[in-house]
Amino acid sequence: MAMRRMVSAAAGALLGMALWAATAAGHHGWRWTEEDHVQLTGVVKSVELGNPHGIVILDVGGEEWRVELGPPARNTRAGIEEGTLVEGMTIVVIGHRSADPAELRLKAERIHVGGVEHNIYPDRD
Amino acid sequence: MIDGLLADLGNSALAAGLRGSYWAYPALNALHVLGIALLVGGILPLDLRLLGLWRTVPAAPLAAVLVPSAVAGVVLVLATGPLLFAVRPEDYAANPYFQAKLAVVACAILNALLLRWAPGWRRDAGAGARVRLAAVLSLALWLAALFCGRMIAYY
Repeated sequence: MAMRRMVSAAAGALLGMALWAATAAGHHGWRWTEEDHVQLTGVVKSVELGNPHGIVILDVGGEEWRVELGPPARNTRAGIEEGTLVEGMTIVVIGHRSADPAELRLKAERIHVGGVEHNIYPDRD
Repeated sequence: MIDGLLADLGNSALAAGLRGSYWAYPALNALHVLGIALLVGGILPLDLRLLGLWRTVPAAPLAAVLVPSAVAGVVLVLATGPLLFAVRPEDYAANPYFQAKLAVVACAILNALLLRWAPGWRRDAGAGARVRLAAVLSLALWLAALFCGRMIAYY
């Protein structure tokens, strides 16, 4: 009997963890972001386009924002390659910011670099 | 000192190559998942057997299959994990789920080794309180490690 209780407790704990994982604010996907679009204009401080996804640190009026791009294949499809984004450039980023207002983090859908739009998620509005 | 080492690792040619790769990084990721599958997929049924499930199945032949399979899984995750870590060392080192995962994995491996050194655990008659405790710990620790690992991407 004790054994059966132990096994059902373990199964319950596993199910609980699975549910928690399913509802947790995911880093991948868009669940961690706000619904509304945000547009940021700032100066590029650093660029890293590689796996698991690109990261641009953007100086927006003295605030340091972490802008997350797509994985390498998606960035390339959007025309963002090594050299597209360079430190010191002023760029415009449109996307969704973190649902946590204290966090200066934005997941980019589109970026504008020198009049050229790079649409990272063309299937999103 | 540690910060410098992490930066050096992230700046290494290997890390840069993996960051820029189309296939190598996802392939490494897949191998890491395969390792977890072998490891947890082997250990879970074995722990449950030691806890008294499937009493009609003798523990020794079950262990003869599942232990090497789980050990192969450990080797695979230990081989691929550091390479995945090297891609963004500073981010992962600062990630509380990653830190928790390393601690939990260390405890789980220690627990497995201690159980291995305990005499007679493969014998059905040997499944005393000592072995059952190790089996419960093993279940909890490996599932916690799996969960922490998945949560790294969600921090």
